[in-house]
Amino acid sequence: MRRGVVLSIILSAVATLFLSARGPADFAFPLQANSVRLAVIGDMGTAEQPQIDVARQMVKARAGFPFEFVITLGDNIYTGSLPSDFEKAFAVPYKPLLDAGVLFYATLGNHDKTNERFYKPFNMNGANYYAYKKGHVRFFALDSNYMDPKQTAWIETQLREAGNGGWKICYFHHPLYSSARFHGPDADLRKVLEPLFVKYGVDVVLSGHDHVYERVRPQQGIYYFIEGASGSLRVGNLAPSAITAKGFDTDRTFMMIEIAGDDMYFQTTSRTGVAVDSGVIHRTIRPVVAGAVHPPASYGAGVLF
Amino acid sequence: MITKRWLRCRVMSGLVGLAICIVPARMLAGQGAPASKEQADDAAAFKEFSARVQEYVKLQKTVESSLPALKPTDLPEMIAAHQQALARKIREARPHAKPGDIFTPAACEAFRHASRAALQGPQAADSRAYMDRDAPTPTMPLAVNGIYPDTEPITAPSPALLAAFPPLPVEVAYRIVGRTLIVVDVESRLIVDIARRVLPPA
Repeated sequence: MRRGVVLSIILSAVATLFLSARGPADFAFPLQANSVRLAVIGDMGTAEQPQIDVARQMVKARAGFPFEFVITLGDNIYTGSLPSDFEKAFAVPYKPLLDAGVLFYATLGNHDKTNERFYKPFNMNGANYYAYKKGHVRFFALDSNYMDPKQTAWIETQLREAGNGGWKICYFHHPLYSSARFHGPDADLRKVLEPLFVKYGVDVVLSGHDHVYERVRPQQGIYYFIEGASGSLRVGNLAPSAITAKGFDTDRTFMMIEIAGDDMYFQTTSRTGVAVDSGVIHRTIRPVVAGAVHPPASYGAGVLF
Repeated sequence: MITKRWLRCRVMSGLVGLAICIVPARMLAGQGAPASKEQADDAAAFKEFSARVQEYVKLQKTVESSLPALKPTDLPEMIAAHQQALARKIREARPHAKPGDIFTPAACEAFRHASRAALQGPQAADSRAYMDRDAPTPTMPLAVNGIYPDTEPITAPSPALLAAFPPLPVEVAYRIVGRTLIVVDVESRLIVDIARRVLPPA
C-alpha cells in the first residue's frame, strides 16, 4: 500500500516534469509549419454577454495564433431548440470565426438537444459520437450522456485501429477527474473509459460540465483538462485538491492548443485576455496491448435472454 | 507403484470433479441456464420489452419516411420543423398510447430488479452521482406522447445501468427523471413510455 503511494507520487512528479515550468508571461506558441492548431470551449451556449466576450477574445487571439478549428465540450446551446436559440447561442457569438472558415467540432452536453447533431456548423454529421484526424492528431468526440456498451465497443475499436502513430485526444462533456464542488468527477464513467484510454495510449482528455477551468495532474500517464467556463461560470467552485495542477474559477476562459511533433503547447486565456495557464506536454509513446478491455456490446449484468 | 495408467485416471477424475464444481457455480452466477424463476421471468419480460420497442421503431420509421429526410443542415429551422412534424405524425399514428404499452408490468419489474442489482455495493454511489447531479426536476410533468421539455437537462442511466438494461435501437434512448425510467424518441423528443419507481430510493 505504502509502496503504491510512493510509486504514485514519483510517477506524478516525473509526469509533471514534462510540463514546462514557464509561466504564462513568457509562453509563446511555436507556430510551426504543419502543426495542428485549435481552440477549446465548453459550456458556452448561454447567449449572454460573457459568452460573447469570450468569443471576441478568441477572435482577437486568433490574429496572433491562427487556430484552424474549435472543439466544443458540450452544453453548446442552453437556451432551447428553437432556430433563434441556435442563432443567439452559437451563430451570432462565433460569426467572425465562422466567417473566417474556422470549423467547429462539437460534442453534446446534458443541456443539449440530441438533434444538434444535424446542425452542419457542429460537424457531427448526424452522429452522437465520431472520430476524425487532423495532421498527426486523432480526435475522438464522445457522447458522455449515453455511454452504452455500443459506444464503448466503438471507441475501443477506434482507439485500437488508431495504433501508435500519433496523438490521441478524446473529448466529451462529463469529466473523469474534477476538483469542482458542484459536479466533481464522474467515477462511473471513469470505470468504463479510463481502462481503454490507458490501454490504447490516449494522450489528452478534455471535458466540460463543471463551470471552471482545471488542469489535472497526469493520471496514469494521461493529461486531463476541464474547460467548462466558456460561457457559464461557477465562481469559487473549484476546491483545489491533490490532483489539481492548475485551476481558475473567477472568470470565463477558453483554451488554445498547438500540437507540433511530439509536443503539445497550450494556453488558457480569460475573457479579459489574461493568460491564466500555459505549458507544454511532451508525448511519450505507450505500447498498445493486444486484447479487448471490454467484451463486445451485449446485454449485461446477469440478465439472461 | 504409480503407473502411467493410474496417473492418467487420477488426472481425469480430478478434471471431472472440477467440472462438476465449476459448471453449477457458473450457472448460478448467471453464465449458464437461469438460476431462478425471477431471472427467467425477467429475461422473458425484457425480450417482450425489446420486441415492443422494435414495433415502435418500425412505426416511427414508417412515419418518418413520409417526411423529407433530415440531413445535416445550416438551417436550424429545418431541424425544428422536422422534429415537430415527426412528433405530430407519431402522435397521430399512436393516439391511444399510454404508460405500459412498452414497459409492461413484467418489464417494469425486470427493470427494478436490474436497477437494484446494479445500484448496490460499493460502486452504487458512483452510479448515483452520475444520475443525480444536474438532473432534471424530479417532479417535472411526464406524459406519453408529450415532448421532453426543452428547459430540462437530460440524464441517462449511468454506464453501469445501461450495461444492465436491454440495449435500444439508435432511434430511442433511456432517460432518468428522479426514480422514473422513460424511453424517448431521439429525433422527435416524444416520450414513448414511462416506468415509474424503477430506480430504488437513494
